[in-house]
Amino acid sequence: MKIKDIEKYIRKHTNADDFSCSISEDESHETRFAQNSITQHIAGPKLDIYLELSFGEKSGSCSVNQADEASLDFLIKTAEDIACLAPADPEHMPSTGPAKLPEVQNCAEATMKLKPKAMVEIVQKSIDKAIAMDALVSGMCEKHLMKNWKFSKNGFEGCNESTSFGHSMTLKKGEVETKVSYEAKDYAPFDLDTEFARLQAQAEALAGMQSFEAQKIAVILRPEALQELIWYLTWMMNRRQSDEGFTAFTGQLGKKFMGDKFSLYSTLKQPTISAFPFSSEGLPSQETAWVKNGVLKNMPVNRYWAQKVGCEPQHIFNMYIPGGKISEEEMMKMVPRGLIINRFWYIRTVDMKAGELTGMTRDGVLYFEGGKVKHAVNNLRFNEIPHDMTRRILALGKEKLVSPASIVPTALVDGFNFVDKTSF
Amino acid sequence: MKYLDLAMNAASSLGAEYADIRIQKTTDQVIYLRNLSLKSANTSVLNGYGIRVFFGGAWGFAHNNVFSDEAVLATVKKAFDIAKLSASVNKKKKLRLAPERSYIATCKTPVQIDPFDVPLSEKVDLMMEVNRSMLAYEGIKQAVFYLIAHKDEKLFASTLGTRLDLTSQFIDPMIIATAIHEGDSQSRTFDEGGRAVGWEWIQSLNLIEKAKQIAQEALIKVKAESLGPETRRTLILDPNHLGLTMHESVGHPTELDRVLGWEADYAGVSFATPEKLKSFRYGSEIVNFVGDNTLPEGLATHGFDDDGVPGQKWHIIKDGILSEYGSTRDTAMEIDLGYSRGCNRATYYYDQPINRIPNLYLLPGTKPLTPAELIADTEDGVYIQGRGSFSIDQHRVNFQFGGDYFWEIKNGKLIRPLKKILYKSSNPEFWNSCDAICDERFWRPFGVVNCGKGQPSQSARMTHGSAPARFRNIRVGGSQ
Repeated sequence: MKIKDIEKYIRKHTNADDFSCSISEDESHETRFAQNSITQHIAGPKLDIYLELSFGEKSGSCSVNQADEASLDFLIKTAEDIACLAPADPEHMPSTGPAKLPEVQNCAEATMKLKPKAMVEIVQKSIDKAIAMDALVSGMCEKHLMKNWKFSKNGFEGCNESTSFGHSMTLKKGEVETKVSYEAKDYAPFDLDTEFARLQAQAEALAGMQSFEAQKIAVILRPEALQELIWYLTWMMNRRQSDEGFTAFTGQLGKKFMGDKFSLYSTLKQPTISAFPFSSEGLPSQETAWVKNGVLKNMPVNRYWAQKVGCEPQHIFNMYIPGGKISEEEMMKMVPRGLIINRFWYIRTVDMKAGELTGMTRDGVLYFEGGKVKHAVNNLRFNEIPHDMTRRILALGKEKLVSPASIVPTALVDGFNFVDKTSF
Repeated sequence: MKYLDLAMNAASSLGAEYADIRIQKTTDQVIYLRNLSLKSANTSVLNGYGIRVFFGGAWGFAHNNVFSDEAVLATVKKAFDIAKLSASVNKKKKLRLAPERSYIATCKTPVQIDPFDVPLSEKVDLMMEVNRSMLAYEGIKQAVFYLIAHKDEKLFASTLGTRLDLTSQFIDPMIIATAIHEGDSQSRTFDEGGRAVGWEWIQSLNLIEKAKQIAQEALIKVKAESLGPETRRTLILDPNHLGLTMHESVGHPTELDRVLGWEADYAGVSFATPEKLKSFRYGSEIVNFVGDNTLPEGLATHGFDDDGVPGQKWHIIKDGILSEYGSTRDTAMEIDLGYSRGCNRATYYYDQPINRIPNLYLLPGTKPLTPAELIADTEDGVYIQGRGSFSIDQHRVNFQFGGDYFWEIKNGKLIRPLKKILYKSSNPEFWNSCDAICDERFWRPFGVVNCGKGQPSQSARMTHGSAPARFRNIRVGGSQ
């Protein structure tokens, strides 16, 4: 059954007072390689039909992955049965109505046209380049063509089509391990030679690792590393959790909670970044400043809580952190000594109320002193509070598209709190 | 089902060296209640099939959700074509499959009361009562109840002639009480991590009393003090804490695909490399870890894995020495093992199976020892229950763990509750510092239902277990 037919079928056959339905399709091709061989190779379509409906304030939901009549009958009946048996929810909200959605361009023609054979050639060339330098490469080459629809009884209708292409490579040569990755909606700008040259340069810089003790020290966080920390910060930035006293953001809305140099947006204005045009609740995405020059301007909030506290519901649909013009070379001259961090790994919350995280560095750490890189060092563990860390940003560098949904700069941060080291 | 034979015959005709089909229907029911508001009551059904073809030393895997002769044959062809593409890259480094025989079997998780047969209203009534019993305590500002019921129904066939009918299921209740006091917020969680049993387990748990207990403990915890700077101390770890520690520091490092570097780009590799087998001292002499996919009520006890290899029981660490890995048919041959330990599992029909942690547990101590005796024998330490923050490096060496509930031990007694406690250690220091394990009367299982790994990401489940155990000279302190 096609999407419009699914919509008609659900509208016709449900007896619920209200409903909203989300449908997603994903046609993907994923080639995974490790140690110079392909170890997994996956292709196929995915479908998800999610129906949430209600009788009065009693709600239920169901999802299925097949679009024949029997499956849709099961979907509707199961959701209705659950709703009938559920207690009335004091926080129930009706579905959203018609909305003017922003025009977005989340599809790239080059990604749509990319064939499996060409993807395997990318993998083959990656392996050939690794073999040529007597190294091992592991990674993943993937593309996704996705479509999302949402409609509701009250008249909301939204559709989004998007593409994504990714190619990651982790190189191992001797004791050196490092990684680069390209992730974007558009395959067209991807150039394997450029990516592999970056990988090779990173690997060469990491030779001759020396032992380094954990300490508070200035760091240059490359965009991938900064992005990983800030995603965790955004997950802790929920308005309701804050209002109810569970997070570090309690009482901080409208105040200068973070550093002057730090701003964070969800944006519709950057053409390279994907922007989902509507939220899971059926609200249009709109240009939003979450943090502006350190002031906490807005926090993600759902419709129920927004209504309760008298604000507009808001959602994060991508991450844009404006950068600056300071190069890594200039940053190294701004502090006596420090570390350059490629990526973080295994970040977890240590203390939700304090906003404290832990995690490890990964894929290469470089020590610099007197404005120059001296040598590579072992990986380190940090315990750090990201909102507090933004107050220690000394400089921002060039922005980079890190994933289809984030543009992030390099940042020079003072006094980053490393607490332990590992053996490699 | 006719599609099994149709797919296997088609794969053989195309020239597949090996092929299998897994028709899998996964049903989940997730109920989430927060402060008496039913945030979600959802049933989801994922139904489809995945076909693996092995050709020229490489895999191809294709999946589909359309059940028809035409769709099945097209999916076989797609898997074969992908395998051929993979083989064109693997010419110099071909994968091999460990030998395996054929099986015809039916396996089913034994349950007395299928959770999917229990009316939603009965579940929600219980959850509401549990929520109310926690919110009755002044200072408890958030009461949460998650309930997950999960069932996988699989039909598996391979070109070896194997035909399997496998049904596995689990249930997982989790209750959280969060207290606020003088600007701090702390939670306490009841979390056994899921078990492959029926609703009868929920009935036996007395969740109302458990909820009152965790609410009281959340209030104790939020008013507790932390420890000062990190120093070397003794730890006594409860089974429902140690489950996650062993998962991260023993389970993942002994997955053979990580050891081989197959997860190098994402989940990481392992320090426990093959030259260390049979000689590397991973832990003290009392440390014995067993992989056991035959464990009753175990979350990885499915009868067979997704290679069609039966569940087995074997030592991974014996008397403290690294003994063997968890393996699959393709990873086993990379170290010329010659057989698989049956650890290949996929999450959904559309996932290609990967090397997974088996049910993995620490054997209890062989001498009689109670937790009370263990505490009485400890001069200065911290007793930790429940899981908290956890983080480990990508070689599985350095780690930092929190917990859910902490008591300081002085001169053999629990003297005061603590909060915000972290300990740091590394492999092999940590397991070599284990100097006492309580006996089998105190052994408890602990389930993990959301073990993330792989690209594309998959979520697996397995059961761990231990008796309370003591670790000496570990770095322990308060968080920032």
